[in-house]
Amino acid sequence: MSGFLGPNGAGKTTTMSIITGYIEPSQGKVEINGYNVSKKPRKAKREIGYMPETTPLYNELTPKEFIKYMAELKGVPRKMRKQEVERVLKAVNIEDVKNKLIRNLSRGYKQRVSLAGALVGNPKVLILDEPTVGLDPKQVTQIRDLIKSLGKNHTVLLSSHILSEVSQICKKVIIINKGKLVAIDTPKNLEAKTEKENVLLITVEDPENKIEDVVKSISNIKEIKLIKELPDGTKQYSISSNDNSDMRKEIFSVFAKNEITIFELKKAEMSLEDAFLNLIDNQKEEPEKTKAEIKKEKKELKEKRKKEKEDKKIEKQNKKTEKNKEKTKNKKKGGDK
Amino acid sequence: MWAIIKKEVKTYFLSPIGYVFIGSFLLMSSFFFYQYIFYYGSVEYSYLFYYTAELLTFTIALLTMGMFSSERKNGTETLLLTSSRSITSIVMGKFLAALAVILITQIFSLIYYVIVCIFAKGITGLTITLTTLGGFMLLAMAYIAFGMFISSLTENQIIAGVVTIILLLVSWFLPDLSPAFNIISPLYQFQKYPGGVVGISETITLLTQTILFILLTIIVLQRRKNLK
Repeated sequence: MSGFLGPNGAGKTTTMSIITGYIEPSQGKVEINGYNVSKKPRKAKREIGYMPETTPLYNELTPKEFIKYMAELKGVPRKMRKQEVERVLKAVNIEDVKNKLIRNLSRGYKQRVSLAGALVGNPKVLILDEPTVGLDPKQVTQIRDLIKSLGKNHTVLLSSHILSEVSQICKKVIIINKGKLVAIDTPKNLEAKTEKENVLLITVEDPENKIEDVVKSISNIKEIKLIKELPDGTKQYSISSNDNSDMRKEIFSVFAKNEITIFELKKAEMSLEDAFLNLIDNQKEEPEKTKAEIKKEKKELKEKRKKEKEDKKIEKQNKKTEKNKEKTKNKKKGGDK
Repeated sequence: MWAIIKKEVKTYFLSPIGYVFIGSFLLMSSFFFYQYIFYYGSVEYSYLFYYTAELLTFTIALLTMGMFSSERKNGTETLLLTSSRSITSIVMGKFLAALAVILITQIFSLIYYVIVCIFAKGITGLTITLTTLGGFMLLAMAYIAFGMFISSLTENQIIAGVVTIILLLVSWFLPDLSPAFNIISPLYQFQKYPGGVVGISETITLLTQTILFILLTIIVLQRRKNLK
């Protein structure tokens, strides 16, 4: 169960299109369960269930007909087809609308029909491109639970820009930006990595405005910042320290002595969202390639391919000559006999 | 491939296109039938195909214009291209589905032949009718392949339809300019069949045109995969 994150235009959908064989990669290769998508597309594609972001469907068909068609396209054997269609209809819970035209279904149902299309044939790898976009909260939880349960016996690659969704469902997060890989890790590790500073969030009632002086008297404190003033007269501050020690105890006692009332005191935790933003922002801006550079790269690639071709040719010829040698040897042997 | 044929034929008849195509074709055929057979009192049924072939030049675009353009526009192309079917079988499936619709139309229009037989008091010119029908199907194949190719180039159905009709019309009239154009005009190639002549060169030309445009369609789809 992997989550695939990235800002808009990062290349999530493009990557998924390449994995599913919709687009041919210009470089590199994709292997699904050992099958190269470019070289053995039939076998590789049979292992994949793909739910595209735009949920393309045939509006003139009913969900049942659509899923049956998808089953046929995916090569589900005729005997098992009916059973398989029923199973999938049940799995995504659209049995009640199975005979309505897809055209007349609501967005949530369409999304589920599209998901059903990906599930049919029980492929080992599921690739879901933003499966919960545009659903109401109830449907979102339903689809999420469904995806979670699918994760038990399928490999799922899920793209999303809803971070809470990814941190809830996925065990592993892949973050890309501008077509480049930024990070692969578990959501927890990513959060931990970005948690660099020891920061406290504190809400106080401080009519005499003593807080800044008071805080300065505590050792280890680096700085205090006012975040906002709340309408009920309280103020929220963030306090950062120089080391990793827990300052809460000390702050509590010192504030109490100075008659500053604490309404709230908590450690600021980095969420996946912060981690995400941090990673994306930290990615070094690469200077735009000039036209000459692009040309050069293309030339190099061409030459590389040419060389590869020639190498292959030479290899073939070598094999041929070896074979011929063996043949002549065998003939000679035969002649000797 | 069978799955695609089935679905495509079904789609033709789930949308108005299939009915409009068959309906308009039969309506015009019956008009020609009335004019030619009754008005002139002729019993040579196969001559009617001269008119229906010209009619096909205008109506074929109805069947072919949406073949790939609408799939591309709706994004359903993704479903086809990421399924385990090869591009060749997708293209052939769609081609054969359109051909099936034309075959259905022709079976309907055999009614006219039956009427002619009734008036002629016996079966007349069966072989000519059958060879002309065969020629007509060859012509339809060349037309479908061409329309399919145009449809694979754009994501706009209307453009695909209009361009198909215009180019087919051009190919219809080009032989008038110079005999050199005979070979690229499917309609010209068809002209001998209603006379009862099965020309080998005509048959080969029509088949070549069909195969050429089917291959071009496959190449277009394959190339687009690399160029996205």
